Amino acid sequence: MNKIIFPFIVIFLFGCQKSKDESSQQKSKYLRWVGDSKFDPEVDDPDFKACNGEKVAQYFNFSMGLQYEGEKRALEKVFREKYNPLSREGESGLIRIRFVVNCKGKTGRFRLLQMDNDFQEKSFNPLITDQLLQITKGLTGWKRLPDTDNARDYYQYLIFKMEKGEIKEILP
Amino acid sequence: MRNSILIFIFSLFFSIPLFSQPNCEAYRYQGDTLKYLACMQAKKREGHYQFSREYQEAFDEAIGIDSTFDYAYREKSVAYLKSGDFITWKNLIDKAVALNPEAHLGARGWCRYQFFRDYKGAIEDIENFEKLVNYDVGYSVNGVYHLSIAKAICYKALGQKERAISIIEEKLKEKDYFAGIYDYLHLGVLYLELGRYEKAISAFVKQSQGNEIAENQYYLGMVYKKLGNKEKYVECLQRSQDLYVGRRNMYDPYTHPYDKVYLEDIQDELEKANKDT
Repeated sequence: MNKIIFPFIVIFLFGCQKSKDESSQQKSKYLRWVGDSKFDPEVDDPDFKACNGEKVAQYFNFSMGLQYEGEKRALEKVFREKYNPLSREGESGLIRIRFVVNCKGKTGRFRLLQMDNDFQEKSFNPLITDQLLQITKGLTGWKRLPDTDNARDYYQYLIFKMEKGEIKEILP
Repeated sequence: MRNSILIFIFSLFFSIPLFSQPNCEAYRYQGDTLKYLACMQAKKREGHYQFSREYQEAFDEAIGIDSTFDYAYREKSVAYLKSGDFITWKNLIDKAVALNPEAHLGARGWCRYQFFRDYKGAIEDIENFEKLVNYDVGYSVNGVYHLSIAKAICYKALGQKERAISIIEEKLKEKDYFAGIYDYLHLGVLYLELGRYEKAISAFVKQSQGNEIAENQYYLGMVYKKLGNKEKYVECLQRSQDLYVGRRNMYDPYTHPYDKVYLEDIQDELEKANKDT
């Protein structure tokens, strides 16, 4: 008898939890986690799937810093080789591209944020941002974290410190 | 399983707020009932990850009780800082600084440097903090640098190397100051870049005594390269490579530390050294 009832109890409890979460989200101005990027059919690749639903970690949760094949130098080399600087006054500040690296090391849900040197939102020339976005989308060296059978999905970002259209530094 | 446990532990570690919760009773003792109530309300966030909706909402409610409760703005800002959302972070931390500059100026300065490499802004905040208080301004949020050393690094990044040297030298001369884990490394690199090789060696030796890391041996090797001492140049690079492979290198879970070198830098230099043999 218990064997029959138990699964129903579990389903009922999880169902309650889920609807509680959904209800909290409807009432709140916040997403589940700060910075969450929900799938947007207008801009996101429909073939990209997070492996663990909405349970996406942050890259620093693994306490290993940025994890890319060949380390930061390999990543910088890609941008050095592929980015064509658009030398113009006013094209200075920070550009952040944030995305999800899934449990297979594939990337998706790219989001752009831009500011000037006074931390005010601004729009860089699309000739700059489009290039950075395309190069970032083409990066293939992101490591699975942790490197085990239980790899997680995680948010990673790159911040480009721009000075007159040139990349001065890449963070983190 | 072991990895899952490690991730869990690290997740807990990195969910610890950067700045400890104020003692609510102190507000009550001071007769600030509103701040006391806001402070008690903020306790609702306990047990929630700083990226969570609950964490943000607990502080929103605290701000709803007392909009001058600076601690709430700072705590709300942390998740935005760590996710690279410089605009929301700055908006929130600015509110905390405006309400209580003594408590938050140093932290804002440090984070401007650490997360966004805003060297000018970091210097401005740290110097304003120094002017504001008559006590030691203390350490960076992560405890790795004294804020004076962080300021020196920012001056170096802006091309003012002599000024950076002078700040670090002065700090290291202070009787009660314990050198930070990378202080002598940064000083040595500055000497190296300005061609003061004997002083650079002396700084790197001190760094070795306090905290031996791959970067230290790499830059020491570069000094010997400049001095034409091939044997020591190669020896240092090999030692640097061993240290790096053994994970004895500069580290910051959020970003790359200033003057950090990577395995590729060491191996490229070793290759050059071997070609010249």
